[in-house]
Amino acid sequence: MSGAHYVTVTIRHRSWNQGGRISVWGFKPLSEVPRVKLSIENVGKRYSGNVWALRRFSLELKPGVLGLLGPNGAGKTTLMNILATITRASEGTVTWNGVDVAKDPNALRAVLGYLPQDFGVYPNLSAQEFLEYLAAVKGLDATAARRRIDQLLNVVNLADVRGRPLGGFSGGMKQRVGIAQALLNDPRLLIVDEPTAGLDPEERVRFRNLLSDLSGERIVILSTHIVSDVEATATDIALISNGALVAHASPEDLLQRVDGRVWEWVIPSADLNAVKQVYRVSNTARRSDGVHVRVLSEEPPQGARPVAPTLEDAYLDALSVYRTGVAA
Amino acid sequence: MTSGRVLWHLVKADFLTRVRRTSFLVTLAFAVFLGYQVFAGNIVMQLDDYRGVYNSAWVGALMGVVTSTFLTLAGFYIVKGSILRDETTRVGQILAATPMSKSFYTVAKVLGNFAVLAAMVAVMGVAALAMQLVRAEDRTLHVWTLLSPLLLYALPAMAFVAALAVLFETLPLLRGGVGNVVWFFLWTGLMVLGVGQSVTHGGVVMHAGYFRDFSGMPTLMGQMRTTLLQVDPHFHNDFSLSVGSMKPHKQFLWTGVQWDGAQVAARLLWFVYALAGSLLAAVFFHRFDPARERFARKRNAAPERIAVVEFAAAKNLAQADPWTHRLTPLESSGAKNRFFALVAAELRVMLQGHRWWWYAIAGALFVACLAAPLSASRGGVILAAWIWPLLIWSQMGGREARYATGSLIFSAPHALDRQLPAAWVAGALVTLATGGGLLIRLLIAGDGRGVAGFLVAVCFIPSLALALGILTGGSKFFEALYTVWWYTGAAHHIRGLDFMGTVDASGTPVVYLGLTVVLLAVCWTRRRTQLAYA
Repeated sequence: MSGAHYVTVTIRHRSWNQGGRISVWGFKPLSEVPRVKLSIENVGKRYSGNVWALRRFSLELKPGVLGLLGPNGAGKTTLMNILATITRASEGTVTWNGVDVAKDPNALRAVLGYLPQDFGVYPNLSAQEFLEYLAAVKGLDATAARRRIDQLLNVVNLADVRGRPLGGFSGGMKQRVGIAQALLNDPRLLIVDEPTAGLDPEERVRFRNLLSDLSGERIVILSTHIVSDVEATATDIALISNGALVAHASPEDLLQRVDGRVWEWVIPSADLNAVKQVYRVSNTARRSDGVHVRVLSEEPPQGARPVAPTLEDAYLDALSVYRTGVAA
Repeated sequence: MTSGRVLWHLVKADFLTRVRRTSFLVTLAFAVFLGYQVFAGNIVMQLDDYRGVYNSAWVGALMGVVTSTFLTLAGFYIVKGSILRDETTRVGQILAATPMSKSFYTVAKVLGNFAVLAAMVAVMGVAALAMQLVRAEDRTLHVWTLLSPLLLYALPAMAFVAALAVLFETLPLLRGGVGNVVWFFLWTGLMVLGVGQSVTHGGVVMHAGYFRDFSGMPTLMGQMRTTLLQVDPHFHNDFSLSVGSMKPHKQFLWTGVQWDGAQVAARLLWFVYALAGSLLAAVFFHRFDPARERFARKRNAAPERIAVVEFAAAKNLAQADPWTHRLTPLESSGAKNRFFALVAAELRVMLQGHRWWWYAIAGALFVACLAAPLSASRGGVILAAWIWPLLIWSQMGGREARYATGSLIFSAPHALDRQLPAAWVAGALVTLATGGGLLIRLLIAGDGRGVAGFLVAVCFIPSLALALGILTGGSKFFEALYTVWWYTGAAHHIRGLDFMGTVDASGTPVVYLGLTVVLLAVCWTRRRTQLAYA
């Protein structure tokens, strides 16, 4: 690999993804890319009424995709807002490569790409104009920004409609504009909050692949409650509930925890309620031969067969352990 | 559920949504402030050099008239926006999917507006009571005499305002900033219409005049004049409701409004007008149809076309091989201080969506400033040139909140020390460009004082817009305040209020330079608190 060319070829293989594939992306040579580290130490956020959305949250992140999973109201968006320098933490510190973000927020903002859960656009601007505006706000060079915007509009499949006012865009199209703006400055830290909301299945798959490819030498934080998104892209997973970190592990480790405790069997429809009373049901599917029930249990239900756990099983189990102190 | 219950819950939800916001407290604070100004004698009703003894009749009449004049002007701006709120919160789409009729909705919105305005009237009622007791010129309390002007002058006027606010929101042309400007002139017209009627009849108001009397003031004037003429036959027939320190030196006893059937009917008729306005609003109400809402009506955005675009994009998606697209890394991802590029970007956002005719008229005003005689250019044409960009200035500072782009912009580096100044410079450039014809004339004439006044105005106007935008998160307050200020101060060349310095005698550039500095400090401070980390 020559230092003069900004192209590397990466070959990736993931057991839970779409299999092996080759992707070609323009990344800087590894020698030129500084290693990045994001540290979150005892961070808490208190809202009025003494409500803590986040409490004593600590995490250290290195390049890769962190999937941030948790139920509604767990504190994911609050954490995202703190990391994106939108909200100030009530306690604790966030450091970027050793620099305290509270003291020098611009050190982080300069390398930050942020896709909020809810964001707006200027309806009378076109996608091209809106991205040009945000490129200027981010301080990008005009020529480089124009080239980058061209590429990004192709990546998010909006090149054909780049000149149309954003006011006429559908929700999914606006979301793709949001994805493009997050990537404008070639960020070292990419924070995406519910990024696949509003995307159709094909676009969702594309976005997952995009995230996987981007993660090379940067930190990507993906917050979602869609487990399959995390399953497809994350190299690490953080489970969060009630503002606290429940677990931080690799997908393999989390899967390992429920290995041998996931069962599936077929029952008549009439028995479903009774089964739900006894077991933690992680999935049901009605088929011609009855209801296929998937449960988490230490002991195998009568007639059940063991199945390979999914991340959804691991997620439900970890939350169950956190809430009740016992595994499902 | 009966219609009455549905209506009750709609109005209740609307009212609670408003009263639980800080802005409602500000609204009530404004009513309290106004009440205090009356109490302190800063708002005075006088006939020649007379005022009434502060008994229930005079205090009630004074509060009633102040409410039906000043508070109706402000009240419109306060309550306008309830349909827009349902639109932006998307509650409207949920309501639109219910069997509720359009007229039902608009009537409910008018009632919600009216409830807020009535709360302000109630504050003025309490202020009236306090004023009579504290002033203590006559402590005998006549409740009906005290409160009837508020109930029969102020409340019907407020009902009409509540309906107009909803009607304006349903009319595409008037729902935005244009409507805010139009309301000021419409309000002026309503005032003048009533007063004119009174003058025409030589101080005696005919019954027919009641029906045009929006504020109740002309009717009141007629009755007070009749009373005062019995006390002082030399009374010159001057009546004024003024803000300032002019104190009348004489007193007379006034016993209150003589309500007759026609007069009461005329006042209640404003409720009928309000109902008519509500129903008219229903005709234009878009029922949250996305194709007819605010943004979808723009050019090139017909729904059929969007569907085609979406389909085309989906088709491309299926055909495209996304992995062949390459993202070339940026030479450096660090943020640079490209201030002028940012100013240009802010300028572009500021001018977004304006059609060719907007620029044509701005250009014509520039030329008119240049071609007209200097006195006419400075004293007249510049007024037009600097009301024309009102809706551009009014977007400043509040755009991020209005379009929910704050999280994108405030997470960028140096939002405080680059983006904010860039937005201000862009606003100043718009001001400079639209009034530039006058600047050239002043420079040619070597009028240093005029140039100074012009440049201060170029700095002051965007500072005011930016500060109010940042403070309120919207455009309405600036649109209302600027229009009133422009009309009362600049257009009438009132010294101290003439921020444009339209004539030497009225210009006070040093004062406005100081005010500009204060406003910029407010911008900086407030934006700093909006950012988690400045």
